[in-house]
Amino acid sequence: MLRQIKPRTARSKRALEKRAPKAVENPKKALFLRGTTCSQVTQDALGDLYSLRQTLAKRFQKKNPIHPFEDASSLAFFSEKNDCSLILFGSSNKKRPHTITFARTFDYKMLDMLEFNLDPSTFRTISQFKTDKIPIGTRPLMVFAGTAFESPVPNEFTMAKSMLIDFFKGETSDKVDIEGLRSVVVVSADEPTSTNTSSDDISSKPVLHLRVYLIRTKRSGQKLPRVEVEEHGPRMDFRLGRMQEPDADMLKEALRKARTNEERTKKNITTDVIGDKIGRIHMGKLDLTQLQTRKMKGLKRDRDPHLLDDDDDVVMEVDEDEEERRRPKQKKKRTLDI
Amino acid sequence: MATTKPAKLPVTVEKPTPYTFDLGLLLANDPNPLNLSTSSSDEPRQREQDLANIARDGAQSLVNQLLTVCPISATADGVLLSLPQPHTPLPREKPIPQPKPETKWSAFAKRRGIAPKTREQRKNLQYNDETGEFERKWGYKGANKAGQDAPIIELKAAKEENRKEGTTVRGDKRREIREKIKRNERSMRKNLKRNEK
Repeated sequence: MLRQIKPRTARSKRALEKRAPKAVENPKKALFLRGTTCSQVTQDALGDLYSLRQTLAKRFQKKNPIHPFEDASSLAFFSEKNDCSLILFGSSNKKRPHTITFARTFDYKMLDMLEFNLDPSTFRTISQFKTDKIPIGTRPLMVFAGTAFESPVPNEFTMAKSMLIDFFKGETSDKVDIEGLRSVVVVSADEPTSTNTSSDDISSKPVLHLRVYLIRTKRSGQKLPRVEVEEHGPRMDFRLGRMQEPDADMLKEALRKARTNEERTKKNITTDVIGDKIGRIHMGKLDLTQLQTRKMKGLKRDRDPHLLDDDDDVVMEVDEDEEERRRPKQKKKRTLDI
Repeated sequence: MATTKPAKLPVTVEKPTPYTFDLGLLLANDPNPLNLSTSSSDEPRQREQDLANIARDGAQSLVNQLLTVCPISATADGVLLSLPQPHTPLPREKPIPQPKPETKWSAFAKRRGIAPKTREQRKNLQYNDETGEFERKWGYKGANKAGQDAPIIELKAAKEENRKEGTTVRGDKRREIREKIKRNERSMRKNLKRNEK
């Protein structure tokens, strides 16, 4: 925990306000760092991800003796110090070669972590593709393909999806320039194989293919354009390794939505196509016993055996009716007192 | 659209399970199985082609959805798409800010219906009718200090009677300001204490 600082100058006050919790949050910053051992492949991969995430990213160059799944306190510290809530930690060792650990923090505490084990044989960097490069700060389209992402129970694939959305969404805005829709990030997951019994054997796990393509639009002769894609890089194939699931309470707190000034939709009030306001109201159950029907001698209440023991005249005014009811009660009380 | 002439390029995507979208994030979910060739190690080229096809279909349907659903407005900056709010739940970075605790004054003001000061009232500038210039209300050359260093200060009999030992009329204004600051700090401390409970 950092020292609680009371700002002495207007400038430091502004700086603290910038990182204070807000109802509508600023985009998450990503922190890229490496462990003591980190293969060239992993470093290149981190560099490519860094360049895709530019302006909302920070990169450390020095080695850090951190093992995230043993002690994540250093990562939480870095997160607080740099105000970054997405952390990408690259490391490589004999047991887990070419590993990028995605970690997210909430309130500068570790929320969840997931290991992405990079396949070095299929890895290609951005510079290996000779295409136009995406200008920094543009939002990519995102496509997640594969049945694994649709799992209703949270597993490593849904977590990977959530993390990758968080990573690639960048700065969200309600308006986007059509000219800026130039690239698409596609993450496709192989089908989980049925022979996937030994969870420790990493090579048997389904692969996550991360590809980034440029979008070329062509005139199709119709209103909508024909889309063609051209690979931009990087090309990464991952297998998902260890994961640390979020604490349920913390996740609940993190998923809460701030109450905004936006008018909340009132229940049962709608507006139809013409613009007329339609309300749906709920009435109590209709009391049909009082319904005045055709008067007939045979239907007179006096003759109804069920109603005989009730009040003799139902059409009586309400006030009198109530008084009538109270009186016998009072009498009863008195008798009890005696 | 089904009857496309050979000259026209197809723009529709047919998949067994339809895509789902979160247009606020520019996101499309393709719940169809990939069906990549199983011997992927033998034919990486073929696999890349399959992945590119999946990507093209996904991008095409997402672009179709964006261009048909979102309102488009042409401005001087370019053609803009208005996106809806994203609905995919993503964790926040920091907790939702807590509302400021009520102070004794703000509770009182609320009870009495006293409106907070406007931006204009909070400004440290006011117009001086006598000099015809704007001056500060407080701080350096503030109007609240006016006349404290005048060579001649009129004494008030009532005030002189209750004067503290060892003080003169010199520095009276300054003492007054100091006193106000201290009183404010005291009430701030009290508020903090009350809100702790």
